[in-house]
Amino acid sequence: MTDLERFVSERSPRWKRLEALLDEAQRMPESALGRSRLQELLLLYRSASADLNQARALTANPQLLGTVNQLVGRAYRFIYQRRRGAAPIQWKRFFLRDIPSTFRREERWVRRSTIALLLGAVVGFTAVIRDPGQARSLLPGQFFTDSPAARVEKIEKGDERIDTLRKATEFGSFLYTHNIQVSFLTFALGALTFVGALAMLFYNGVLLGAVAAQYLIDGAGTFFVAWVGPHGALEIPSIVFAGAAGLVAGRALLFPGDEGRPAALRASFPAVLRMLCACAILLVFAGLIEGSFSQMSARAVPHAVKIAVACVLFAAMNAWLFLGRAREAT
Amino acid sequence: MRRRRLVHSPEHVLIELTPAGLGTRFAAFLLDAALIFGATALVGQLGLFLPEAIRALFIATASFAVLWGYNVLFEVLWNGQSPGKRALRIRVVDGRGLPVDVSQSLIRNVVRLVDILPLGGIGMVAALLDAEHRRLGDRAADTLVVSEEQPAVPRIEALGARRFNSLRTPRVKRLVDHKLGIEERELIYALCLRAPLLSERARYELFEEIGEHYRVRLGVEDPHLSGENLVRGIASLCAGTA
Repeated sequence: MTDLERFVSERSPRWKRLEALLDEAQRMPESALGRSRLQELLLLYRSASADLNQARALTANPQLLGTVNQLVGRAYRFIYQRRRGAAPIQWKRFFLRDIPSTFRREERWVRRSTIALLLGAVVGFTAVIRDPGQARSLLPGQFFTDSPAARVEKIEKGDERIDTLRKATEFGSFLYTHNIQVSFLTFALGALTFVGALAMLFYNGVLLGAVAAQYLIDGAGTFFVAWVGPHGALEIPSIVFAGAAGLVAGRALLFPGDEGRPAALRASFPAVLRMLCACAILLVFAGLIEGSFSQMSARAVPHAVKIAVACVLFAAMNAWLFLGRAREAT
Repeated sequence: MRRRRLVHSPEHVLIELTPAGLGTRFAAFLLDAALIFGATALVGQLGLFLPEAIRALFIATASFAVLWGYNVLFEVLWNGQSPGKRALRIRVVDGRGLPVDVSQSLIRNVVRLVDILPLGGIGMVAALLDAEHRRLGDRAADTLVVSEEQPAVPRIEALGARRFNSLRTPRVKRLVDHKLGIEERELIYALCLRAPLLSERARYELFEEIGEHYRVRLGVEDPHLSGENLVRGIASLCAGTA
């Protein structure tokens, strides 16, 4: 028997046992595995680690090395994983503490994306105010209306567009799934290119500003605020938040600094996850409001009420995310 | 050639992660896409049993949850594997070789929106240009898709040691032990393991050519020994199975 042969025949029972324990651990929660088997797994992992080092010195046989490498890698992944399920996820804490404190800590990124959106809005608004003909070139077909006043007339005088629960839920769910995808895209562009998110926000600002200017010129300013306000109070900030999350991720990927890219990325993950969660939740609410309440005519709900609702929603969202002192989330 | 990523474990062992091939990943993607499509269709059918008022809400919400939740859910619960990935024996792992967490899985799947842009072009090109075959989503989430092709138990026999190994003499054994370096051994192993994949002609010529090198190197005198027999004989001596 050569050294290697002895080595393999001596160690392979342990490898098999380790493999069997890992299979078992995969099938059941850790608590069911029991202390003694966990300890055995740990011991076997250490000895397999040593075996891998020894095997590298003994042989270049790719199959043997590959097998032991695979086994050690698997055990390593099991042993050093972050523990899930050790404590149940604390939803209340997640929503009321973790998410708000993240927003407060990343406030500068939220501010920067807000500025990008507002700049776009100012550009779109002034362009259309100075030359109403600009609207046609600035706005894609679906947002362009020849005469907002005529449209307002039709909406206010005609039948209610959303008159059944079915229409409201159908439109609402279409809106929020679509909006979440748009904000995910904004996030992805920001995470990969940084400026991509700013550009998306700027563009959305231009659209918003241009449409607002069109309605204002036609004397339908109040209608516009009452129509867009109730859902816009949540929807517009959401896309800003998605963009801000993209900037946080993009900064870590593109400008990681001294700590190095993997560390910078890892530090940014919890913030990104929380910001995207907040964004998705807000968009579900916004979509459902947009599909029903926002579409109601002044006959059903006076404009003043709709605008008041918009203000309350906006204030509530800000109170949730930004009021209170920044606490370290753990 | 795909580059392997080396992870240092706290036990001072280098663990090699082998990136999965693009073809395999694409196959896994197609399989998952088919499953997502099937689940969405099923959701649509289930929706028909609901009252009309909330049918659309249910269908849109459930399809949305399937579309976005499928990969994230499986990657987190199944330790980096979706059903398609499991079927093709590949796995998403964190850049340090650990399991992916929720945020990483979410990020790599959200960035997929950009990766699939012109018919999957961006992600494909990004993965092709990257030595570890990471698409953009993998870069943003610092993840890696690794292959887990290795069998559970080492099979040294796969080197194909011949039943009668005329090289098994103390003299050749000693020469093999003392003269052949790691690289020369690796060449032999790689050749033996790949032989079944080669065409007859290439296999013959390659074994003859390489056999000649070792014939001279080890001073093997038997002229009737074919290149393949010679190489396989040496391989089994190196691997210690002779």
